[in-house]
Amino acid sequence: MSSLTLPIETSRLLLRSFERGDYDALCTYQLLPEMQRYLEWPVWNKADVATGLNLMRTQVCLHRPGDTLSLAMVRRGDGQLLGQISLRWSDATAGQGEVRFAINPRYAGNGYAAEAATAILDLAFDHFKIHRVFARCDGHNHRASKLLQKLGMRLEAHYREHALFQGEWDEELHFAILDREWRRSSKIREMHARPRVA
Amino acid sequence: MTLHPDYPLETERLVLRPFTRGDVDAVHDYRRREDVARFLFDPPLSREECAEAVQQRIGQIAFELEGDKIVLAVTLRESGLLIGEVSLIWRSVEARQAEIGWIFHPDQHGFGYATEAAHALLDLAFCSGDMHRVMARCDARNDASSRLMERLGMRREAHFREHALFKGEWDEEFIYAILKREWAARQGLVGSIASNG
Repeated sequence: MSSLTLPIETSRLLLRSFERGDYDALCTYQLLPEMQRYLEWPVWNKADVATGLNLMRTQVCLHRPGDTLSLAMVRRGDGQLLGQISLRWSDATAGQGEVRFAINPRYAGNGYAAEAATAILDLAFDHFKIHRVFARCDGHNHRASKLLQKLGMRLEAHYREHALFQGEWDEELHFAILDREWRRSSKIREMHARPRVA
Repeated sequence: MTLHPDYPLETERLVLRPFTRGDVDAVHDYRRREDVARFLFDPPLSREECAEAVQQRIGQIAFELEGDKIVLAVTLRESGLLIGEVSLIWRSVEARQAEIGWIFHPDQHGFGYATEAAHALLDLAFCSGDMHRVMARCDARNDASSRLMERLGMRREAHFREHALFKGEWDEEFIYAILKREWAARQGLVGSIASNG
């Protein structure tokens, strides 16, 4: 896959690679009990945060299937780290990718995650030429499922009690969008963004 | 736990039993067909490939480890004719998950045999097998299979579009599932309807 220019800029955010200095900001939300379900790996203590950060710092591009691109969601004005977003190239022959994100609850509800996810979907389809991007979320994470639907992703699966998570039955939703569907929806977005001529 | 069923499993019209070496021709009779292979991962099989498949199935009769398969020949009780096969795969030991599947000879479609055989296998999975959830998957174009899943009381949990390539084309797949308590409630319901009738 072709090289990537970082950071990615959106109207209010910079999506950049992780840096050593992000450790404190990650600790403020990754250690929250309610975050555990939504992170890719369990984060029990500060050592886990550091291990995760070291891993994410190496996830800077998609060279081969299985690779993950991990980016910090940073607010442009003050450089505040708000959360994390990643794109995993899960399958090369069928062009499949998975997007995941987590946002510090303190900054949730401002549309930052949607803004970051929109940029990542653009990147997946335009730059990496992925055919289908999917996202998984916990069945009880209404905020995430609403966001994924707002992005135009379709609910493709609702698994009930298909696995155990920390001793409890898990419920999982899968959302997905195809490249042609995303292009259609982004054209509509551009139409709305264009200034109106009276 | 492990699962070592007592064979054969019997239903009103069917006998579900482990495969034997004598089943190769009967298996070849349906696995060689294009219409049978259409929605299977395998292409139509030669007789030699069927002999290999049967040889493998002879040992697939119990669950001891995650990933183990139970594959049974479905035969008519009256004539002993082999009309197809049903399978159960142990997908997760911890979460007690299994996957059910079936392949039947097209000449035997339309008599309710697949429903009867799958029903017996679900009973095995939930009763002696103590599974919590059984899932099944099929191609979205395979109406006969998805209708059977619905008849069994399974719920469509997934409809994946273009998530993989299948035989050189974009795949569209359904996943159906049923939980142990749903299966049990259904059996109670069917039982009470039967006793009222």
